[in-house]
Amino acid sequence: MRIAAFLLAAALLSAGENDSFLIRNATVHPVSGPKLNNASVLVMDGKIAEVGERLQTRAKVKVIDGRGLHVYPGMIDAATLVGISEISSVRETADISEVGEFNPQLRSSIAVNPESEHIPVTRANGITAVGVLAAGVSGGFGFGEISYIGGQISLMHLDGWTWEEMTITHGAAMQLRLPGIETRRFNPATRESAATPFSEARRRQETNLRKVKTFFEEARRYQTAKQASPATLKTDLRYEAMLPVLEGKLPLLIPAAREREIRDALAFAEQEKVKIILVGVRRPGGAIEEIAKRKIPVILGSPFVPIQEEDDPYDATFTLAADLHRAGVKIAFASLGAQFARNLPYQAGHSVAYGLPYDAALRSVTLNAAEIYGVADRIGSIDSGKYADLIVTDGDPLEIRTQVKMMFVKGEPVDLESKHTRLYKKYRARP
Amino acid sequence: MRRATLSVLAVLCAVMAATAAETPSLVAIQNARIVTVSGATLEKGTVVIAGGLIREVGESVTPPAGAWVIDGAGLTVYPGLIDAFSAWGQPAPPAGGRPAAQPQPRPQGQEQPAAPQRSWGPEDRPGTTSWVKAADQLDPADRRIDAARSAGFTTAVTFPSGSLIAGHGAVINLGGESAGEMVVHPLAGLRMELNARGVGGFPNSLMGVIAYFRQLWLDAAHYQQAKEMYDKKPAGLARPAYDRALEGILEANRVVLPAVTRVELERMAALAAELRKPAILRGAHDAYRATAALKEAGLSVIVNVKWPAKPRDLDPQVEESYRTLELRDKAPTTPAALAAAGIPFAFTSEGLDAPRDLIAAVKKSIDLGFKREDAIHALTLGAARIYGVDNRLGSIEPGKIANLTVIKGELFDSMARVQMVFVDGKKYDPAPEPPPARRGEETR
Repeated sequence: MRIAAFLLAAALLSAGENDSFLIRNATVHPVSGPKLNNASVLVMDGKIAEVGERLQTRAKVKVIDGRGLHVYPGMIDAATLVGISEISSVRETADISEVGEFNPQLRSSIAVNPESEHIPVTRANGITAVGVLAAGVSGGFGFGEISYIGGQISLMHLDGWTWEEMTITHGAAMQLRLPGIETRRFNPATRESAATPFSEARRRQETNLRKVKTFFEEARRYQTAKQASPATLKTDLRYEAMLPVLEGKLPLLIPAAREREIRDALAFAEQEKVKIILVGVRRPGGAIEEIAKRKIPVILGSPFVPIQEEDDPYDATFTLAADLHRAGVKIAFASLGAQFARNLPYQAGHSVAYGLPYDAALRSVTLNAAEIYGVADRIGSIDSGKYADLIVTDGDPLEIRTQVKMMFVKGEPVDLESKHTRLYKKYRARP
Repeated sequence: MRRATLSVLAVLCAVMAATAAETPSLVAIQNARIVTVSGATLEKGTVVIAGGLIREVGESVTPPAGAWVIDGAGLTVYPGLIDAFSAWGQPAPPAGGRPAAQPQPRPQGQEQPAAPQRSWGPEDRPGTTSWVKAADQLDPADRRIDAARSAGFTTAVTFPSGSLIAGHGAVINLGGESAGEMVVHPLAGLRMELNARGVGGFPNSLMGVIAYFRQLWLDAAHYQQAKEMYDKKPAGLARPAYDRALEGILEANRVVLPAVTRVELERMAALAAELRKPAILRGAHDAYRATAALKEAGLSVIVNVKWPAKPRDLDPQVEESYRTLELRDKAPTTPAALAAAGIPFAFTSEGLDAPRDLIAAVKKSIDLGFKREDAIHALTLGAARIYGVDNRLGSIEPGKIANLTVIKGELFDSMARVQMVFVDGKKYDPAPEPPPARRGEETR
């Protein structure tokens, strides 16, 4: 008892040293509310304790002078492969290709590599948390295998000694690849995309969709059986993992780029009575209103990609975020990959130049992602009680010239060195 | 004995072709509308053919004594139609799986080429069989020849197929018992392609292909120079090694290059200038907006009349681009644009299911303002001129080869049908309306 009390005291003491501090005289952008000039943020034991314009200095807390600096919540990459795929072409370093059509029991958190080189590179631009995908979202091909349910997306802090330390929540969403009508399919064997007649592609979709619906049906039967006689039921991890989905607690994350795929996803959500998040929306067309009406959140990939159709406006990928926002859709940006996750703030920044209101852009890389995944009580804004995931910058973080001067994850200062800065220093010093 | 052989041959021929009938060598078609192409159209004229050639044509010509006289009332006589780029009579490409109709004769000492080896550079002569001549591998029994003749074609320029430089096309008449009889000109032009797929190794890109052609042409020029020097004074000189690929290049009278879109047409016009041989561009759907460049380069064009069409069973979500829709809309206006610009052009049935579809496809252009007489010119004298055989083919003039297409009604009329054709003076009746051919089966 005494030993336990002693350990607790020691823990508190050490916590107090490393993850408690006060930033003073800074411009604070809480995201959840208007910016505060000349304000302070008090962090105690890794959590935000207080935000305000006239905070009293307390003893034994480190004080950081934030004169001329800005404090923002750390940004969130809503769907990424950072930590799970190091070099996509080296199979051993990519953990996104589990075999099998239905793997709802997989959680990406366990596969995250805390030593990934992508983590410090991504942090350097102000990203403190990521939603790690369980499978790639484009196509969903493993090595010759197609998976419909790839696993659960885990929300991870971008700092920690182990994956356990990094984990914010193991299951933030369930990743589902809904079979679509694919008239152009990439054949990995020939490395060419071949055209399929529409009628054939539609037949194939029907066949595959039946598989998915059958799996949901089986999961539902399992749910009923479990409610009836939980003691005698043989536990099946796959159906067990589906329970929160069926109960409407865990949303499905469904890649849907174009209008038809989006409408398919909306119809699926309606039929199966499940919550969904759309990811990788590129060309929603007339489905925008429908998405807004049903309050389906959308995770957007990079706008720095070619337009979808030859005759699309040149800026179609840049105005997409503004179009969705104007219709009332909640959006969050995501890298959907590993090596360009660091560009997340510029995905939002560029969209501002093409009509997305600034405040909405800032939310789309912070609080919106937290709300979409149901963790807004812990991350996403500077509010008391939340994790002290903070960045201190010399300006607007959506602006490419802005430097992130300091970063705190759960109140702990984070080293902003990365492979990029190491190489920068190395070659600067070259005689 | 000789007569017996001949009649056996005739029977065989009749069985094989089912259309050929024995024709007296002196024939007169009287009271027909005669479209001479080279001169004025005769509303009521007579054409006399003798010994496989046109002897006389005119309004006041009387059929000579002993001639077989055909009453031409209601008929129109045209010069035999010419398909300017076809594969009729040629073996299917190796990939098609059909064995060559005849074993190809090869010079002694040259072994049959083994499976194509990986090519590492131009010196491996990738995808090149420039020594192959369509005339040498002609199969008179090819059923496509009957179909073509039944559709009114008497002549075709037929080409071997292969990957980059397949070989020399031949102007052939679509009648005759032996390959030798059919050939009008064995060196019509050298067929060149740009698609390196299937070559295996270098070249693997468009720039590689064009660079290869350049090197090949430089090699051929050097080869020719070396040969001339050696022939002049062999003593003390190293003998230049015989190179059949380069021999094939030097032999070419002209080159035939593929080009469909405007950028391709302009690119091939530039390449043709480097090749320093008369060039024909084939495809040319987009030529309606490239006439200036074609005219300036002095090129001839073979228009492919398989007009671009909306793909069947297309994904409704696919938004076809403006570029695609524009080409689909405007391609059939290309013949009229070429005629207006004074660019020599002809037509090809390449890609069509049956030879008779060519007439229907050209009709589409006529409906869009292309003049009938220009269409007929392109199908006859125009095609002959492109290949330099307009001194023997392409019009109804005394002394020319007696290739005639006789139509009941007029060509391009909806009710028109082929009444008979003459090839080298020999009359053929069209086969009864063929049953709809199954796809992929029309080759033999």
